[in-house]
Amino acid sequence: MAAPFETSFAQALLGTEPALPPGLAAHTAAVPARRFAVYRNNVLASLGAALARRYPVIERLVGGEFFAAMARQFVIRHPPRSPLLAQYGEEFADFIAAFEPARELPYLADVARLEAARTRAYHAEDAMPLGADGFAALDAGALGDIRLQLHPSAAILRSPFPIVTIWAMNSGELELRPIETGQSEDALVVRPHMDVEVRALPPGGAAFLRSLADGLPLRDAIGVALADHAGFDLTGNLAGLIGSGVVRAILSPAARTS
Amino acid sequence: MNSKIAHATIAGSFAAALSMLAAPAFAAPKAPQPTMDKCFGISMKGQNDCAAGAGTTCAGTAKTDYQGDAWKYVAKGTCASIKTPKGSGSLEPIKS
Repeated sequence: MAAPFETSFAQALLGTEPALPPGLAAHTAAVPARRFAVYRNNVLASLGAALARRYPVIERLVGGEFFAAMARQFVIRHPPRSPLLAQYGEEFADFIAAFEPARELPYLADVARLEAARTRAYHAEDAMPLGADGFAALDAGALGDIRLQLHPSAAILRSPFPIVTIWAMNSGELELRPIETGQSEDALVVRPHMDVEVRALPPGGAAFLRSLADGLPLRDAIGVALADHAGFDLTGNLAGLIGSGVVRAILSPAARTS
Repeated sequence: MNSKIAHATIAGSFAAALSMLAAPAFAAPKAPQPTMDKCFGISMKGQNDCAAGAGTTCAGTAKTDYQGDAWKYVAKGTCASIKTPKGSGSLEPIKS
């Protein structure tokens, strides 16, 4: 429970209009409005810079000036709840989605979700992914019954926009060239080892992985994926499942009793 | 067969998947680069606690507010190269 002065100080700090907290004094001035304005600006600017570090592609997409001003609005509405700046800005994508001046960039919020997922993956628990040999050792007759535990860094995102392509082009992974936003893309973000990887998922792949993440046995996950997209390619998705390092462990091993 | 998938189908696809692992099906924009280590306590790829963190210098030093809540900025990044159904992504000028 903050004291009344601290509460009014915080309110003045994050108010939309500069205002001096009641009772604030300095040895140089009875009413240190200018000093407080400098302090306030440093708070907003440094949090905005933290946001730019976490969302570099968003900053590149809209430009530095637009980003700085947008970040300022965000900081005022969403001050940090944790001292860990690396986790700051979780609500940024939702903020962007409702942010009127960015409304003509409808893909922007989903790209921000992708960037947020990358940071979470970077700071997620380290874990060795299950290798191909772990899958090869399974009893072929009971493969449909296996349940998987996904890697702790894994995130699956679905978007009606080509978020992986937009992200890749603006993070230096792909050459920048004109694209159309009509193409939807689902993304898998995972850090199997040291590097965070962003992959575009094939049709039905996101439904497949989410079902597995929810604990469905493989057979049911395949059913969900086929219902999601008739063009679901089982072999290709299994190869991706194994090769991407998104699986940490087999939770229910293939039964040996049958 | 309905939603039930035959054991043979799964087993066959599994075998095929294991044999084709040399060509990953989930397209990554770029192959992972094992050249960087995750080094604790040191920043990497902009994922650190930010240069403007506590006790460090930052761009905002010694400036006062330059704006209230007024919004005049126009997106000037690479969004112009991305076409939406409503036209180019450029935000010039903002209708407000």
